Amino acid sequence: MGSLDTSLERQELPLVQWKNGKAAQRRRRSAAILTVVALTLLSAWRCNVDLQAFVTGIGKGGSLLELFFPPDWSSLPDMLQPLAVTAVMALIATLLGMCLSLPCALLASSNLSPKPLRLAMRSFIALERGLPEIVQMLLLVAIFGLGAIPGLIALSVSSIGMLAKLLADAIEEIEPHMLEAVEATGASRSQVIRYAIVPQIVPALLANGLFRFEFNVRAGVILGAVGAGGIGYIMMAAMNSLNYQRACVATLLTFALVFGSERISDFFRARIFGAEAVR
Amino acid sequence: MLQVSNVVVKLPSGKRLVDGVSFSVGRGEFVSILGSSGAGKSLTLRCIVGLTRPTSGEIRLTDPGGKVYCTTNVNALELRRARRHIGLIFQGSNLVKRLTVLENVMLGRLGHIHPLRSWFIGFTDAEAREAMEALDRVNMTAYAARLAGSLSGGEMQRVSIARAIYQKPLIYLADEPISSLDPRNAEAIMSILQPLSRETPVIGAFHQPAVVARYCTRVLGIRAGQIFYDGAPLLSAHQLERIYGDLNGEAFSTPSDADAQPVHFEPGLHAALHRSMTGGLPI
Repeated sequence: MGSLDTSLERQELPLVQWKNGKAAQRRRRSAAILTVVALTLLSAWRCNVDLQAFVTGIGKGGSLLELFFPPDWSSLPDMLQPLAVTAVMALIATLLGMCLSLPCALLASSNLSPKPLRLAMRSFIALERGLPEIVQMLLLVAIFGLGAIPGLIALSVSSIGMLAKLLADAIEEIEPHMLEAVEATGASRSQVIRYAIVPQIVPALLANGLFRFEFNVRAGVILGAVGAGGIGYIMMAAMNSLNYQRACVATLLTFALVFGSERISDFFRARIFGAEAVR
Repeated sequence: MLQVSNVVVKLPSGKRLVDGVSFSVGRGEFVSILGSSGAGKSLTLRCIVGLTRPTSGEIRLTDPGGKVYCTTNVNALELRRARRHIGLIFQGSNLVKRLTVLENVMLGRLGHIHPLRSWFIGFTDAEAREAMEALDRVNMTAYAARLAGSLSGGEMQRVSIARAIYQKPLIYLADEPISSLDPRNAEAIMSILQPLSRETPVIGAFHQPAVVARYCTRVLGIRAGQIFYDGAPLLSAHQLERIYGDLNGEAFSTPSDADAQPVHFEPGLHAALHRSMTGGLPI
């Protein structure tokens, strides 16, 4: 009998601990939900959120929307060139970002770069990522003047910030055995990079580069409105001069551009990774 | 000819993982290092190829012309020069998964290629042809254009042997080349390594005394970082017990302890141990 009791005890205690753990988890979860709701209400009250303005705004929006139609298609030819400017700006910024992010990623990864250099590089790319494009744009316009160049730089810099971080993480995931095996043949550091690291991170570079291209197209439209030219500037100008039918054409073109860039990026992703599955 | 003299690897805490290992390996030898996990087998091999720098000791590789290559107390350039002559076969996943099988083989001679050529030209057709010959020796030519990541464990191990063959080294090091393989693949790998060892010595770390007894020419028994058996590959039950520890409980006592204490001789246990380690072969 004695032995039976102890075996029961042995099972009973962990079971009780498990139940207590579950109860604690449930308490934590309800506390978290309550906190979020309370903070939302508090901030709505502090910021004087006025539902009235929202409702009247919707009504006004409807009548404003009528002014957009019919679109003024005669302005279409003038808009193709700015549209191309935005697309090319996004494309070049993505390519620049992909090329320059590679050396940054190598210097930022823990399995290749010594600690001080790595920390410096990690903070540098965090800074590049952390400064919103629009803030960079305002600084760059002060330096280079209006035009596509400051837009291009702003997009490239933040592309590097994002891609270098993702690539550095991909490099850190490479199995150390693989690098050592190449090193053990007498290969130099640069050869290890060429043959063991680059082939392993190319998929990450392409996949993230394609996502970044889509993002750069959308961000390029916004940067256009604050001085980088392109379709964003045309839309802004049309809105400011109350030429809503012209703005409508610009909006439709922007939509087509963003949608098109997503389709292109999907197409290439499918080709790259489809091919991989076949091989 | 490889000479390992008095190699010590010490942790900052003072613990000696490899404790004064010395041996030399010459022509025609297929040496197996046996020992339980953590005994210092892999670490000794890593020291030979310079992936781990020993705390003290010397490792010299001499080519038939009398030229000496060291992997201890040398600068990075000299280390790279010595590494060209050491063919390393890792356990399992040492191939670059996203390169083709043929490219993986050609990596073997990177030490002979200028880095600028690696970046701007790549491998030549002549090199590819030679790499195919190396793949032929392990029966893997049909896989040459496949990505290394798509191979099975046994296939990967063959490719990594082909890489070492293509390297034309003065010695092959094999770190547990058959540990992750099924018995049939393990036999296949051993029967590739055995003929290789007739031209160029092979040192391998293994966990299968029965397999070792059939293929190798010599065994180094290592325990707690020290070699205390160096001789024929056919080990008696008593010798196996000294390598792997007494299964009665003091499995990880140091060799000096084992020497000091009288051996508890239990015929039944020894027979069982012997059977499990030799695969039932009448050794």
